[in-house]
Amino acid sequence: MTSFAREEVTIGGVKTVYLTAGSGEPLLFLHGGGTFHGFEFAKPWTKNFKVLLPYHPGFGQSGDDPGLSSIQDYVMHYIELLDHLGLDKVNLVGFSLGGWLAASFATQHARRIKKLVLVAPAGLRIKEAPTVDLFRIPGEKIPEMLVYDFEVIKPHLPAGFDVDFTVERFREITTVARIAWERLHDPKLPRWLHRVKVPTLLVYGEEDRIVPAAQGPHWARLIPGATVKTFPKAGHLVLDERPEAVEAVQRFLQ
Amino acid sequence: MPRPDDLQFNMFHFMPYIHLPEDHKKYESVWVDFPNSIYDPVKGNKLYTRYLREMVLADKLGFDGLVVNEHHSTSYSMMPAPSLIAAALIPQTTRAKLCVFGTPLNLEYPHRVAEEYGMLDVMSGGRLEVALPLGTGMEYWVNPINPATARARFRESIDILLKAWREDGPMAYEGEFYTYRYLNVWPKPYQKPHPKMYLVGTGSPETIQLAAELGMGYSSVFVPISRQMQALADLREQSPKYGHAFTRDKAIIGVMCYVAETKEKAEQEWMEHLFFFFKDALRTTPRYLVPPGYVTPAEFRKRISGPNLHGDLSWDALTQQFFVVCGTPDMVAESISTWANEAQSSRINCFLHLGTMPHWMTVKNMTLFAEEVIPQLRSKAPELQDTLPKAAE
Repeated sequence: MTSFAREEVTIGGVKTVYLTAGSGEPLLFLHGGGTFHGFEFAKPWTKNFKVLLPYHPGFGQSGDDPGLSSIQDYVMHYIELLDHLGLDKVNLVGFSLGGWLAASFATQHARRIKKLVLVAPAGLRIKEAPTVDLFRIPGEKIPEMLVYDFEVIKPHLPAGFDVDFTVERFREITTVARIAWERLHDPKLPRWLHRVKVPTLLVYGEEDRIVPAAQGPHWARLIPGATVKTFPKAGHLVLDERPEAVEAVQRFLQ
Repeated sequence: MPRPDDLQFNMFHFMPYIHLPEDHKKYESVWVDFPNSIYDPVKGNKLYTRYLREMVLADKLGFDGLVVNEHHSTSYSMMPAPSLIAAALIPQTTRAKLCVFGTPLNLEYPHRVAEEYGMLDVMSGGRLEVALPLGTGMEYWVNPINPATARARFRESIDILLKAWREDGPMAYEGEFYTYRYLNVWPKPYQKPHPKMYLVGTGSPETIQLAAELGMGYSSVFVPISRQMQALADLREQSPKYGHAFTRDKAIIGVMCYVAETKEKAEQEWMEHLFFFFKDALRTTPRYLVPPGYVTPAEFRKRISGPNLHGDLSWDALTQQFFVVCGTPDMVAESISTWANEAQSSRINCFLHLGTMPHWMTVKNMTLFAEEVIPQLRSKAPELQDTLPKAAE
C-alpha cells in the first residue's frame, strides 16, 4: 500500500508538518490529543482522496507555539493552512480533540467544508454520558483505556519506561492543557452547532471508555441531519480498531 | 570557624497533620487525592495549639524569623492559608520576623495577597517578610488554575503586587490575565516601600533569573544541596546584570538539623521522624509533582532522568543530597558554617520540627539550637538575648 509523503510549511510562524498521499478531493484529518498511535488507519482513504494528515502545533513533528492556547486559535490555524495550500473546500474528519476542533471549525466555516465526519468527538458536556477527564488518569493507564483490544495499540508503545516517549507524551498533554485545562468542553458549542449545514456523520466505538458512544444522539440532535454509526468491539480508537469504520467514513465522503 | 555578625536564623514549621491511619502506605500519595476523611479536626485542634506554642517559643528563644508556608490538600502541612497562622502569631510574639513564605500568587487574586500581606505588616508593626512561590505541582491539581500558563500568570501577579505596593493608588492595570480598573490596595505595608521579598522555588533557572531581574532574594525549598548551591550561584552572577547588588541576605538556605548531647543520641532520637518526613510526608507521585505544562518538556526530561527525591532514601543519600545534620552543638554548628559560607548566605531556614517529632523533642532541639549552636555561628547575639526567658514559656 502507498506510503505518506512528509511536507513542511510555516503557518503563522509555526512549523507545521503534514503527511499526505493519494489523489482526488482533499480529506483533511484532525488528530486527537496524542499522536503516538500514528496514521496507518488512514491509508485506505488514499485510494479515493488526497489525504492530508497535519500534526497540530504542539504535537508530533510540528513545532510549538504557546501562543496557541484555545480551540479557536487552532480553528484559525487551520483556516490559514487551507488558505496556504489553496484548498477552497475539504472533506473534514476530526477525531476526539480534533473532533471538537472540526466541529468548531464547521460552525464558523461551513462553506469551506464539503462533508464532515466527527469520530468520538470531545467538546460537548453531556451530563448523562460524560467524557472521561483524561487529566485524571495516570499516563501509564491511558493506552489500555483507549482501545477494546490492547493488541491494537501495543505495537505503538515502548517495551518499558522510555524517556523520549514519556517526554513526547508530556509535550502533547501540555498542549492539550493549554487548550482545555480549564474545561474539556465548550459551553457555547451547543448554541452554534445548528450552523453546521453540511452532511455530517458521527462515528463511535461501542466500547469507548473515553467518549461514550451514548453522546452520539446529542450531537445528532444539535447538527441538522447528522447521522450516527457505532461499531461494536471498538474503543475510543475506533478507526485503528475497525477497518469497517474507516470504510464507512470513505463511503460517506464519496 | 568564621562568626559573621549578620547571620540570621529562622524557625521553619510545616505544621503537618501526623495522625495517619495505619494503612496509610497503601496510598501512593499523601497529596492531592489523600482522602480528607482521614483528618480529625479534634486532633487537628490539638496540633495547631501545640505548633503555635512552638513558634511562640522560637520567638522567645531569639530566633530571627518564624517561617510558615502554604500547601493544599495534604497531610504534609495544615497551612492552606499561612497568613492566618502569621496573624495568630502577631499578638503572641514580640520580635521575630513573620516570614510568610508564602501564598502562591496564582492561587489568589494578586491584589488580595497585597491586601492580606499589607494587613499583616501593619498589624505586626513591620515584622513581615514574604517569599513568593509558583506553588508545587501538587497545588495545581487541587486548584482551577492552568499549570500550562502558570509561569506567565505568576510573572504578571508579581508585577501587580509590586505595583500595588510601590506606587500610590488608585491606578489602572491591564494585563493578559488580570484587569484592574482601580488598583488601590488598603492598607499598604508598614515597611516602605514593602517588606523584604524573596522568590521561592525548586531551582528552576527561569525563577532564579526572575529573582535576579527583580532584585529579590531566593530561597529553595526542599531541593538537593547541589541544586540549592547552583541556584544561589546563579543569583549571585545574574543579579548585577540587572543592576541589583547581590547581598548575603538574599540567599536563603534551608537546613534540617537536630541537636542532642551526643551524635548517637541525636540519631537515635531523630532518625525515625526524619524518615517519616521524607517517606510519608513528602510521598507523592511523579504525575502530581509535574502536572501538564508545569515545566517545559526540556526541564521535564531532566527531572525524569534524575533520581526521585520523593521516594525511598537511605540515610547516606539523605545526608549527601540535603542539608541534613544531627549531633552535638559543635557538629551542627560546623556543618551550618560550612554550608552558609559556601552558599554566601546569611539567612538560614532551620527545620527544627519535622514529621512526627513530638513536642518535647522540638522544644529540646530549638532550645539547644538557640543556646548552643547560634552563639557559635554568630558573633553578635540578638540584643534581647540576655532578657529572654531561658526555659520553655
